[in-house]
Amino acid sequence: MKYKTQKIAYWFFAAAMGLLALQIVYGFIMGFARIGMDGLHPWIPFNTARAVHTNLLVVWLLCGFMGSAYFIIPEESGRDLEWPVLAWIQLISLLVVGVIAVGCYHFNIWEGRKFLEIPRPLDYLVVVNVLMFLANIGVTLWKGTHPTTTALVLYMGLLFAALLYLPGMIQEDNQTVDSFYRWWVVHLWVEGVWELIMGGILCFLLIKLTGVDREVIEKWLYIIVGLTFLSGILGTGHHYYFIGTPRYWLVVGGIFSALEPLAFLGMAVFAIAMSRKGGRRHPNRIALTWSLGCAVMSFVGAGFLGMAHTLPSINRFTHGTLITAMHGHMAFWGAYAMIVLAMIAYALPLLTGRRLWDTPAANWAFWTSNIGMTAMTGALAVAGITQVNLERRIGLDFMAVQHEIEMHFVGFLLAAALFTIGIGLFLYTFWRHGLPSQEAMAPESAPDTLAADLAPEAR
Amino acid sequence: MLSKSQARTFFLGGTGVFAAIFLALTVDSMKRIPALTHADQLTESVVRGKRLWEANNCMGCHTLFGEGAYYAPELTQVVERRGKPWIRLFLKDPEKMFPGERRMVNYRFTDAQTEDVIAFLDWCGHVNLQGFPPKPPLRDLLRPAAVTASGTAASQPELFRTICIACHSVGGVGGVVGPALDEVYRRKTRDEMLVWIADPQKLKPGTPMPVIEMTDAQRAEIVDYLLDLAGRTPPPANGRPTPKTPAEVYE
Ligand code: HEC
Ligand code: HEC
Ligand code: HEM
Ligand code: HEM
Ligand SMILES: [Fe+2]
Repeated sequence: MKYKTQKIAYWFFAAAMGLLALQIVYGFIMGFARIGMDGLHPWIPFNTARAVHTNLLVVWLLCGFMGSAYFIIPEESGRDLEWPVLAWIQLISLLVVGVIAVGCYHFNIWEGRKFLEIPRPLDYLVVVNVLMFLANIGVTLWKGTHPTTTALVLYMGLLFAALLYLPGMIQEDNQTVDSFYRWWVVHLWVEGVWELIMGGILCFLLIKLTGVDREVIEKWLYIIVGLTFLSGILGTGHHYYFIGTPRYWLVVGGIFSALEPLAFLGMAVFAIAMSRKGGRRHPNRIALTWSLGCAVMSFVGAGFLGMAHTLPSINRFTHGTLITAMHGHMAFWGAYAMIVLAMIAYALPLLTGRRLWDTPAANWAFWTSNIGMTAMTGALAVAGITQVNLERRIGLDFMAVQHEIEMHFVGFLLAAALFTIGIGLFLYTFWRHGLPSQEAMAPESAPDTLAADLAPEAR
Repeated sequence: MLSKSQARTFFLGGTGVFAAIFLALTVDSMKRIPALTHADQLTESVVRGKRLWEANNCMGCHTLFGEGAYYAPELTQVVERRGKPWIRLFLKDPEKMFPGERRMVNYRFTDAQTEDVIAFLDWCGHVNLQGFPPKPPLRDLLRPAAVTASGTAASQPELFRTICIACHSVGGVGGVVGPALDEVYRRKTRDEMLVWIADPQKLKPGTPMPVIEMTDAQRAEIVDYLLDLAGRTPPPANGRPTPKTPAEVYE
């Protein structure tokens, strides 16, 4: 840790960890309901559990992104954060809004649009919150030394994510138009601007961990995010196939979304190439493992499994089935959960001054959670394929098919248990690091400066 | 190889061009959507139905236009599939229709609210979804006996086809909540059936079979149809035995 105010990142990460744990609890509630164990139904019906599960996911990822920005931006702009107190206010108010929203869902109060369930008044609070955040890091960046590409890309990603939240607040009477703009938030986030955030964080980590020249890494960053927007913007069309929009979206969406995996492939190849190229071994191996894991798993989950159902002739049958849930889990995990966990694995030792990289627990956390998530995806894939064939191709009744695939959810729950053990180990490592401390400011506990000495960066 | 500034130009230029195309297509789509969705039929009742749909987050269990959750049936064409009378009955007490099945919340809608929700779902069912949900391509291949099955369906009284079939099967087609009715003529006489259908609770308190409002003529028509199944019970579809009735299982 070079600047005292980076410390706030720790608390954002801690909040993210808490929300992740809660997200998993609600995931299990749904998983059990699917095998007939729905004893909680009177208090937590499936739609409540689902809204909590997906909203907590988004909020903990946002917490992780914000924490990462509060760590990276001061470092990249060579100065302390402009308003550290504002960052605190922002964190606390974000959590308060989150808790109120989750509470509302238990009392049947919501907006009832998938992923954008939070009640309208809270939307405005979120907007104010995000403005505070953007102002804080924006001013820090502005007043700092010449802004780096990595920092700029990260900032642009966050800024556009905030702007794209607004179309989601459009009130519409026509269900088709309503859905049309809902996708501006949901799709253009995960297959657009969030990739900028992911790319920015990944670049920062690779620069720090591999010691490859910044100019080289940042050039690739531009190419990759260029590919993202080139394909991802018109790729929104893959959500406009069957919702009452004109037919040409089948062509436009089909072609451009089929190009989307290129950006993820680029990210994976680039990360692996850079880690090979960088001759130096940064002592924090586990952070590099998470970074490379993220690049690879995001290609598998988003690129490969996205491609698997993005062509209109396939999507006609898989649209709105468990195939979508399969893809959603691994894409979110590989691309966004793992980048946040990579950043945490990198930043924690620097924030707390404890060198707990490469402990057995940290390594097991990586492998167990990834094997668990892969198995969960596999179980959803088998269930999804069976559902598509029986319900959509043969035409059996929905519930009859659900009974046929119930056993796959037992497998899903077992895999989820394995995954949860991995996350438990990650939380344990997090806890063992202790709180951020003043010692962490001392140069000898900052291996990062050591790395910087070895590989001069082109600043 | 590309220089960094060329890479930046690629990023900014590409983003600009494709964002512009996207916005142009959005403008065009907004012009065409009203026709594709029959926006002129967006009555106040439909809009109220949509608000109820959102206020209760039905999308958190169901899909509509294939969007939502995967826990409960796709509802885009539910009005066509089930018919309005059945949905009215179902929404009154969802658990009663499928006892012991996956549960839905009972929203205790007023009759007016129920009509609004149905109007909304009906409107959704008429939007041009470019062929979604698809017609199951393998259905006809797998069910050569479909001729008999659909032949049966055509001869079924309207009310039977829309409501009773959700719980009962005839010729192997239909629900499994109640017993198959292919051979009910063996178990019940005309009078017994008439009384039973008019008020099942009176004959057997606590039975899951609901009271279904209908005229005497409609009831007689259904009973005629059930008696008429005698002697012309179609062969079991695709070789499956006709679902067993509970009585047979216990014997
Ligand atoms: C907690 C989850 C849940 C919520 C919330 C929910 N439903 Fe359902 N719904 C179900 C399940 C499960 C079924 C299937 C029941 C069965 O077949 O056993 C169902 C069935 C239906 C059906 C019959 C569909 C068919 O083809 O048989 C209709 C109509 C329906 N729901 C409408 C609604 C409406 C309208 C709302 C919102 C006001 C809603 N549901 C909210 C779970 C839910
Ligand atoms: C919600 C599901 C449901 C619906 C809808 C329903 N039934 Fe039933 N029905 C049942 C159940 C369950 C039984 C078995 C009752 C028992 O034994 O307690 C039954 C029993 C019967 C029986 C007696 C069968 C026998 O073997 O003795 C007849 C006849 C019958 N239903 C006719 C009808 C008709 C006609 C309709 C439509 C107007 C209808 N049912 C609608 C659930 C339903
Ligand atoms: C990290 C990136 C990605 C994430 C987090 C992600 C996540 C998701 C989620 C959560 C959904 C469900 C949305 C809903 O129904 O509301 C979805 C749908 C979809 N995704 Fe992705 N996705 C990503 C990338 C991709 C890519 C690159 C492709 C294509 C190559 C793709 C193709 C699709 C398709 C076709 C659907 C629609 C499924 C349906 O019709 O039901 N996704 N995605
Ligand atoms: C470990 C325990 C987990 C369990 C048991 C679980 C279970 C579930 C279930 C049952 C659903 C609902 C699917 C449906 O509609 O029927 C769901 C949705 C979802 N979950 Fe999880 N989940 C878990 C962890 C995660 C994690 C770690 C992530 C992200 C990284 C995640 C992301 C999602 C997303 C994005 C959806 C919405 C998918 C869509 O709409 O297509 N889940 N989850
Ligand atoms: Fe998408």
